[in-house]
Amino acid sequence: MEVLYHFFHRNLEELLKCIFRSLLVMFWCFEMTRFEILMPVCFSSFAISVEGLSKIIINTGQDIFIEGCDEDNPYVAKVTRLYGDGESYSHKLGFVQWFIRVSELPVNKLKLLGREPHPQEIFYYECRNCDNEVNVESILRPVKVKHLDSNDPFPDSADKDTLYVKLSWDSKVFRVVNSTVVESPAEPAPASSPPSCLKPSLPMSPSCSQSAATPRGPSRRTPANVEAESLHSATKLSASKCLSAKRRNATARTPGVRKRLELSSECLHKDFKMQPLCRTREQQGYIYISNTKSYHHFLTVSLIFLQISPGTPQTPRHATPSIPIRSLQTQQPANILEEARARLHVSSVPESLPCREQEFQDIYSFVESKIVDNTGGCMYISGVPGTGKTATVHEVIRCLQHAADMDEIPSFHFIEINGMKMTDPHQAYVQILQKLTGQKATPDHAAVLLEKRFSNLAPRKETIVLLVDELDLLWTRKQNVMYNLFEWPARRHARLVVLTIANTMDLPERIMINRVASRLGLTRMSFQPYSFKQLQEIIMSRLNKLKAFEEDALQLVSRKVAALSGDARRCLDICRRATEICEHSAADPSSTGLVGMSHVMEALNEMFSSAYITAIRCASTQEQLFLRAVITEFRRLGLEEATFQQVFVQHQALCRIEGLKPIGVSEGLAVCQRLGACRLLLLEPSHLGVLQRIRLNVSQDDIFYALKAD
Amino acid sequence: MLKLTCFPTFSHFAVDSHIIMSKRKARDAHLPVGECIKQVQQILRERFCERRLPDRLEGVEAQYKHLLELLRRTAIHGESNSVLIVGPRGAGKTTLLQCVLRDLQKEEKVQKNLLQVHLNGLLQTDDRIALKEITRQLHLENVVGDKVFGSFAENLAFLLEALKKGNRSSSCPVLFVLDEFDLFAHHKNQTLLYNLFDVSQSAQAPIAVVGVTCRLDVLELLEKRVKSRFSHRQIHLLSSLNFTQYLERVWTQLSLPDSFPDKKFAQEWNAGVKTLCEDKSVEEVLQRHFNSSKDFRSLHMLLMLCLSRVSVAKPTIKPADLLEASRMCFADTTANMLHGLSILELCLVIAMKHLNDVYEGEPFNLQMVHNEFKKFLHRKSNSMYNFEQPVVMKAFEHLQQLELIRPVDGSSAKVQREYQLMRLTLDHSQIMEALQKYPQCPTDIKQWAMSAFG
Repeated sequence: MEVLYHFFHRNLEELLKCIFRSLLVMFWCFEMTRFEILMPVCFSSFAISVEGLSKIIINTGQDIFIEGCDEDNPYVAKVTRLYGDGESYSHKLGFVQWFIRVSELPVNKLKLLGREPHPQEIFYYECRNCDNEVNVESILRPVKVKHLDSNDPFPDSADKDTLYVKLSWDSKVFRVVNSTVVESPAEPAPASSPPSCLKPSLPMSPSCSQSAATPRGPSRRTPANVEAESLHSATKLSASKCLSAKRRNATARTPGVRKRLELSSECLHKDFKMQPLCRTREQQGYIYISNTKSYHHFLTVSLIFLQISPGTPQTPRHATPSIPIRSLQTQQPANILEEARARLHVSSVPESLPCREQEFQDIYSFVESKIVDNTGGCMYISGVPGTGKTATVHEVIRCLQHAADMDEIPSFHFIEINGMKMTDPHQAYVQILQKLTGQKATPDHAAVLLEKRFSNLAPRKETIVLLVDELDLLWTRKQNVMYNLFEWPARRHARLVVLTIANTMDLPERIMINRVASRLGLTRMSFQPYSFKQLQEIIMSRLNKLKAFEEDALQLVSRKVAALSGDARRCLDICRRATEICEHSAADPSSTGLVGMSHVMEALNEMFSSAYITAIRCASTQEQLFLRAVITEFRRLGLEEATFQQVFVQHQALCRIEGLKPIGVSEGLAVCQRLGACRLLLLEPSHLGVLQRIRLNVSQDDIFYALKAD
Repeated sequence: MLKLTCFPTFSHFAVDSHIIMSKRKARDAHLPVGECIKQVQQILRERFCERRLPDRLEGVEAQYKHLLELLRRTAIHGESNSVLIVGPRGAGKTTLLQCVLRDLQKEEKVQKNLLQVHLNGLLQTDDRIALKEITRQLHLENVVGDKVFGSFAENLAFLLEALKKGNRSSSCPVLFVLDEFDLFAHHKNQTLLYNLFDVSQSAQAPIAVVGVTCRLDVLELLEKRVKSRFSHRQIHLLSSLNFTQYLERVWTQLSLPDSFPDKKFAQEWNAGVKTLCEDKSVEEVLQRHFNSSKDFRSLHMLLMLCLSRVSVAKPTIKPADLLEASRMCFADTTANMLHGLSILELCLVIAMKHLNDVYEGEPFNLQMVHNEFKKFLHRKSNSMYNFEQPVVMKAFEHLQQLELIRPVDGSSAKVQREYQLMRLTLDHSQIMEALQKYPQCPTDIKQWAMSAFG
């Protein structure tokens, strides 16, 4: 029941939001179409209002809260300019100067501060590469920001709406900041007072100034003081306003109350019996500790429109699991062959990736340009297994990280997911969210949160580079996972670069529906299988002048592998096996201690030769006879299939020819089953007894060859 | 032909208690016969039931060395590896692995440095169960405390993180043994195999993946990405044993070790085994077994049957015992079932055989069989009477219950029972053999069965 309620609850809120928004938009359009201006217009102030609630007026130079991911700690900024743009000013934008909160600082840089930060301390943010443009709709309300001298103590105040600035932060060092830069020129106007400034700060067109002079409409609003409808629902806005009052009593007991939960309980408590429960739990701070499953579920659902703030008590994160530590030290390689083997292991990371310079350069410049431009994009990388796709991308990221550390490019966040390492395509959302924010969520919830994160304005966000390995495993019938992954980078403020890897070149054409394939775009790259020269170079570079192989032996391996698959993993594995064989035969006085042709040949035979022929040679007499009987029967029938009964007649005859005592049916069936278990024969289920049909799983020539040789 | 002069030593075969007992009783070497027989039974049964690993493997030294070296490198150097052991059923794949692990555990460097996880494709039928089992065997559930294990997805992420945290030099190597490896390849997306092989090919916690399977085409089951990550090492256990070696094996399997408490009895027993192996008829029987199958499990079955006939009154294995045991091993079970049928049921089976001859294996129904039977009664029979239709139907149903006849696929339910199409799951030779041995079978029925057409 509770769950049902909850879905309803959520839908209702969504519905309210929609209705309210459309109403406001209509109202707004009506107001604005009268001006018939298409040029951007600057305003000196905005009034944000919602019906039934008092207005908030935002002036330039004022400090404001801007909606962010974290509901309890919204972003802080100072408005520098406000303007309207586009058709009938439907885009109302503002330029801001950001302040950064302690919680937004990188944890490892906090120690540069040299003291404990005050919870209400913020820093003047001086970073070039951040986006200063915000949508007015995301402004929540004004806030007081006070400048303090660096030696002054922080005033003792419980008022959460006053923040203090002492220092500035430019992503590297803290500096003392001048008070004139920070302090607001004017105190924010009280919400109830009439707009004080009616003139546009920069009169850009005569019609604009004219319209400013002439009051129109019953509300006497001017373009300089427009009512911006908020993206927030009515309930949300009301909450943001009621918040300051409410918080003073609520936050005193529970720091970091979740605004939205509170508001939903406030607005909708008449309809929902569960609300009191939710509220009391919330206030006690016991949100996560619950035994009943339904309540747990309720919480999961309610989290969809709740945001977890770092300040609130969270689920204790999983204790990080680990494999026990070994008791004895690992032995270091003792001789050249062991050293070579260690270097040739696929897992050992080489200093550089040879033979993929071009691909490396392409991916590098693609990702780098996206990071520098603060944009997003998709790239599709294909190639057969073992051609270095993932390794190259990792190498690119390593180099980019290095460049970011050196301050050559802005810093970025790298996330990697793998289609094979998840149990279900929708887990992709969960893993991305977890790696992005550390939050845990159900797939649906994670999808909602990510959607929000990538579509909302998110100032001061680093570019995210997302590597999706084994893309084809993320295929679902509706393809919504793939769709979202390729849709997000195209969003204006997402700053997401998606690199996808799969095996097949024509995957977009083959499995993706048009709207997904089109979003993936045409930035494709395909990794060709390695040629024998490249494979040779790879081994040489890994060995790094270590003399363990004869030249010819290396050439043989690389030619053989290049002819079969061009898989570098295979090549390295064969070399590794060859060193083992060489080590075993080291007692042989003729050996040079180097891995030679004979060793490589043996390793190649071991790995590539099929065991069927040996298996037939090693089979017992009756098993061999049975195989011959199968072939004879196939010849007689002219088909590639026969029942056991038919084959058995032939088998009896062959036994007599060979001078063996004919065997019984039970024994014959046992022989047949043994051949079936090895998959020399393909059989029907054994409960059919003598009626089961038999096929060969090896070619007839192979059988003849194997049997003739004795 | 047989080198019977050199007796192999079985120093480790006897249980510790036996050794202690032998020391105590060394002074009075003669035990009562009953006690000796009891000991013989115990020692040999342990051997035949494969409860005790052999000291030394025969015929697979190269494979043993390869596997031992491989696993030792994982344990000592922290080198990740993957390998498949492939061989027909009963070829000693598990025994090989167990022996390697036993010998590996004896080494001090390895002892505390190797965690083992044993999975079986028949038990862990999907990846969810397999992951739970891995977590349990690695004792990782302690880390989570009393938190009940979450979803499959969490479980996988948890395990992968655990393995990713490790590195070559500091974390303890983990050995994954996947019995019935081919069944793991049928799991959805081969997630488990991909992840295990991926870990074994990347710089994470060192692991060794050992797959055991009897399918020769196992590599074709792997998906191309999984296949690329597998190291392609395969250890084939295909015995190229000849008959002499086989006989030798029989002899070693039956002889008693030197550590047997009663020396005199052991000598007598071993001499008895020697004469047994030299017997012409015994050799013939063993040759037949060898022709049929080279695996040792079926040989152990045969020897076990012989052993069970040893008693205080008859403290040796006689050739007759082996012949009897062999007869039991090769007995045709379905033909034996025919001996328990009534005359009417037997007649119906014969009628079916004739129908099969006439219509070349086409299916038949009850009505056709009954008609054929009535034709026989009408023409030749003097010992049989006609039966009522319901009685014939009952007999027919009994045959179906015994699965001597089986309905043709897809013709069930809709058709009336009399007209349901059936096939005979017996071979002609089985019917004839059963008739020969059927107690007091009327002569006219025998003749009817042997006549060419009806």
